[in-house]
Amino acid sequence: MCLLELDNLHFAYPDHPQNALRGVSLAFPPGQRVTLIGRNGSGKSTLMLHCNGILRPQRGSLRLGGEPVTYNRASLTNLRRHVGLVLQDPDNQLFSASVAQDLSFGPLNLGLNASEARARVQEAAELCDVTNLLERPTHALSGGEKTRVALAGVLAMRPGLLVADELINALDPWARQQVFAILDRLVQDGKTVLLATHDMDVAFGWGERVIWLEAGQVRMDNRADEVAQAFAAENPAFRGHVAPRF
Amino acid sequence: MIDRYAYATPLRTLDPAHKAGLSLSALGLCLVLNRPAIGLAVMAWMWILSLVWARHPGRLFAKILFAEGAFLAVSVLGVAVSVHVYPFSFGITRQGLDAAFLLFTRALGCAAALNFLALTTPWVDLLDLGQRLRLSPLLLDLMTLVYRFIFTLLESLERMRTAQESRLGYSGWQQGMHSAALLAARLLVDAYRRSTQTQIALEGRGFTGALTVLPNLYRRDKAAPILTILITISLLLLYWL
Repeated sequence: MCLLELDNLHFAYPDHPQNALRGVSLAFPPGQRVTLIGRNGSGKSTLMLHCNGILRPQRGSLRLGGEPVTYNRASLTNLRRHVGLVLQDPDNQLFSASVAQDLSFGPLNLGLNASEARARVQEAAELCDVTNLLERPTHALSGGEKTRVALAGVLAMRPGLLVADELINALDPWARQQVFAILDRLVQDGKTVLLATHDMDVAFGWGERVIWLEAGQVRMDNRADEVAQAFAAENPAFRGHVAPRF
Repeated sequence: MIDRYAYATPLRTLDPAHKAGLSLSALGLCLVLNRPAIGLAVMAWMWILSLVWARHPGRLFAKILFAEGAFLAVSVLGVAVSVHVYPFSFGITRQGLDAAFLLFTRALGCAAALNFLALTTPWVDLLDLGQRLRLSPLLLDLMTLVYRFIFTLLESLERMRTAQESRLGYSGWQQGMHSAALLAARLLVDAYRRSTQTQIALEGRGFTGALTVLPNLYRRDKAAPILTILITISLLLLYWL
C-alpha cells in the first residue's frame, strides 16, 4: 500500500494568476529514494507543502495509507505524523534555544508523554548523529549541524515519508555526505524520502525515481536513468552532469 | 558573550531556581537594607562566587561591573551636584555626595547580583524557570522566538551589510545613512519572510498553538541554599553592626 497518494491536485496562489499545481497525481510507496526536479516556480515547494497538509488543494485529494485526508485537526495531525517536512533554511525551523528542546517539540505535539518524548529525542539524535549537540544552543551550531538538527526534529516524529525541500543546497560536500547517510538509513528502514533539488548529480545519482515538474504539471515520473536520458536530450548543457548513482 | 560564559560554567547544570534564589535574595537585601556597605558587600560576594564557584576569569566580573559602574557614575552625578536657579548656586554638598554614593552602591550591588545570574544561567534555563513559575505561556513563547531570532536576524544583518559595504554603501556619511535605511527596511522584510517560513515549519511538526518542549533536567546542590543563607546572614549582620 502507498504511504501517500496525491490525486489530480490543483492549486493557485491568490497573488499569482497562473496555477502552481495543475492536475498533479503521484503515489509514494514505502522504501523509495525519490527526487523532485524542475525550474524555479515549477511548483516543487507547493507540491511539498501539500504533502504535509500546510496547503490544501483547491481541487483534487490526498490519501494517506488509503484513507482520504479530510483537513480537520485529527486528520492533519495524522498526516503530519506520517509525512515529515524539512525546509531548505534550518534557521527558519529551529525555534528553540536548545537542541534537545527543539527535538522534543514534534513528539510532544503528537501527544506523547515526557519519557516517550525523551526516548524519541534520543533516537532521532542518534540517527542524525547530533547526540553530542543536545545541550548546545541552536544559534551556536554550524550550517551542517543545523541541517542535521532540523532533520532530527522532523524524524523524531517517525514519519514514513520525509519531504525535504532543497535540504542539501547550502551544504558543503562533507555535510552533504552526512545528510545522505541519514537519508539512506531511512530508506533502508523502509521509509520514503522525497528530495527536491536543483543539483542534477544528486537528482539522477542519488534518486532511484525522479519526478520532473514543469509549470505545475508532472512532466515525467520514472526511473532515474530514464528521466536522465530525457532530461539530457532536452538540455544538452547538462549532459555531463547527469552522473550515475554515487 | 555573557551567554557563552553561562554555557561554559560548571554551574550551567545547576537548577536555575537555586541560582535565581541566591541572586534575587541578594538583590532584595541590597534594596531593603539601605546602606552603601550592603551594596559593596553584595558586589564582593558575587565577585567571589563568580570567581570560585562559577570558575569565571577574575577580570570578567570586574570588567562588566566597571562598564555598568561607568554608566551609573554619570547617572548619579545629578544627585551629587546641587543646582539652585534663584539665587543661583552650584555646588557639591555632603548630603548630595552621600545620597549619590548610596544610590551608586545600591544600584551596582543589584547589578552585580543580576550579573551573577546572567553569567551562570543561559536564557533557555531562565525560560524554563519562567515556565515553572507559571508565567504566561504566550509571553514565554514570544521570548523564546525573540531570543532565537536575534541571532538569525543578526546573521542576516551582517550579510546584508557586507553586501552593501562591498558596493561602497558606506563610503560616505550620506551613502551610509541611505544604506542603513535600506538595510533596516530590508531586514524587516526578511524578518517577515522568516516568520512565515517558521510558521510553516512549526505547523509541519504539529504546532497546535503552544511551543511545548521538554523541560531541561538540572542537578540540585545543597551548596546553593547554604550560600544563600550565608549571604543573607552576613548582609544582615553588616546592617545591624
